[in-house]
Amino acid sequence: MNKWKKKASETTRTARRPTLAGDGFGGRIGFFLTRAITNIRQNVFVNVVTIGTITLALLIVSLFLLVFVNLESAAENWSERVQVTVYFDKDLTGQEQSAFREKISAISEVSRISYVSRDEALKRFKGRLRGQETLLEGVRSEILPTSFEIVLKRAYRETVSVESFVTKLKQIPGISEVQYGEEWVRRFNSFLNFMRLLGALLGGFLVVAVIFIVSNTIKLTIYSRRDELEVMSLVGATRFFITAPFLLEGIIQGLAGSLLSLGLVYGLYEGFLQNAGDFITFNPAASGFNFLPVEYLSGLLLAGALLGFIGSLTSLKRFINV
Amino acid sequence: MHNINLKIGKGEFVFLTGPSGAGKTTLLRLLYGALRPTRGEVLVDGQNVTRLTRSQIPLLRRSIGVVFQDFKLLHNRSVFENVAITLEVLGWGRADIGKKTMHILKQMGIESKYNLTTQRLSGGEQQRVALARALVNDPKILLADEPTGNLDDANKNQILTIFKEANIRGTTVVVATHDRRLIDQGHKRLVTLSKGEIVEQVEKESIGDDQNG
Repeated sequence: MNKWKKKASETTRTARRPTLAGDGFGGRIGFFLTRAITNIRQNVFVNVVTIGTITLALLIVSLFLLVFVNLESAAENWSERVQVTVYFDKDLTGQEQSAFREKISAISEVSRISYVSRDEALKRFKGRLRGQETLLEGVRSEILPTSFEIVLKRAYRETVSVESFVTKLKQIPGISEVQYGEEWVRRFNSFLNFMRLLGALLGGFLVVAVIFIVSNTIKLTIYSRRDELEVMSLVGATRFFITAPFLLEGIIQGLAGSLLSLGLVYGLYEGFLQNAGDFITFNPAASGFNFLPVEYLSGLLLAGALLGFIGSLTSLKRFINV
Repeated sequence: MHNINLKIGKGEFVFLTGPSGAGKTTLLRLLYGALRPTRGEVLVDGQNVTRLTRSQIPLLRRSIGVVFQDFKLLHNRSVFENVAITLEVLGWGRADIGKKTMHILKQMGIESKYNLTTQRLSGGEQQRVALARALVNDPKILLADEPTGNLDDANKNQILTIFKEANIRGTTVVVATHDRRLIDQGHKRLVTLSKGEIVEQVEKESIGDDQNG
């Protein structure tokens, strides 16, 4: 039956095969992409499970990052209070002021420097004692010291640097009294180091757990489709041909999962901003509670895609015996 | 397996038989490169399978169609997609795949079911889909491992007819089976295995021969 038809189709086949086989890598991307999308449509349940797992995993990671980023920026604000003050018991003339200012600014650690005159000092003192003005009776500006307040650059705000800065400062002739709240700086910095260590540890555990859970889920979903891998290799598909659609599928799953998780985090963040006033006293909107910066967002997207890709790649290795 | 010295010529139709565990499946697996022999050589279509690298095995398999007792179909895909996969792997264009696939489905008598998932087909129909997948690219060699193990007599005969037709078109056919009836109806050359060795080889003239020339 159909003997002659068959012969005819055979000649067309042999005539065409070389050009089609020479299609190469670029021409096949479209095919692999359609294949990946059809696969997703044909394995809805498996994909929902994988995307759901990636979403939840990255949701936890990005919530953690959100808290971490905001604690860091809070710490940054607090560290502005690492200030070194140089006191003088007389009013400085304009010439003296600019001479000191120049000498102090010459030290590399200095970020900002401001002069506090006697009047300014009295004003601040009054501000601090608001409501108890009777205490200020008889206090005149002459009894208060004048001072330079020096804010250090970010990198030099930990204990050792502050100390070495103060030593340099004291070498300037005419400067004798320097205060910088040693105890406070020390405590603040050790608290900060502890928090960073804790954050790194927790974050590390979290990332390991996420990689483990996601790669196992992907392994299971690919295991459930090992027939497909077997059939493909039986009809003579190369390793690349079999894996490419699965890898693309993994990337799509990872991107979908990370997009979903970012959407959820943003929802949670907005919800928190709007409702926090009802149950806690601090006002998050005013306190500069921020969403994740763009670099973190794109990092999370990339991480999602990588999770899907690498998870699929390592799982496929186990089930293909071409 | 040991002591196997078997030569199957181009265009032959060979039945492998023997009790379970005799090595029929192993022999087939050696032929399509799923197993490598620890000793000795396997030559298929002039190529030494033993010496093929892992990336060359797929190329060998493109000239070999394989059919199994459990069909190995993808149940979440349609009949059409199950057959088209062979041509997709070869890199055929969409239009050509459509034509060729529908053509072979028509030959198998299942073209009206092309859009059903394979789960909804009977056993005989499923095996014909598997055969269509194996034969759609006109392979030089067709290997079948207990192809009729799950089928009733009417379906067995249909499957046998398809084998014979493929053989007439020039495909070398090797069928492993312990089904006596199938062998009695179809065989030209019969190789009996037992405990990993060839114990008997019989040849007889059959109706297919005169059409072959």
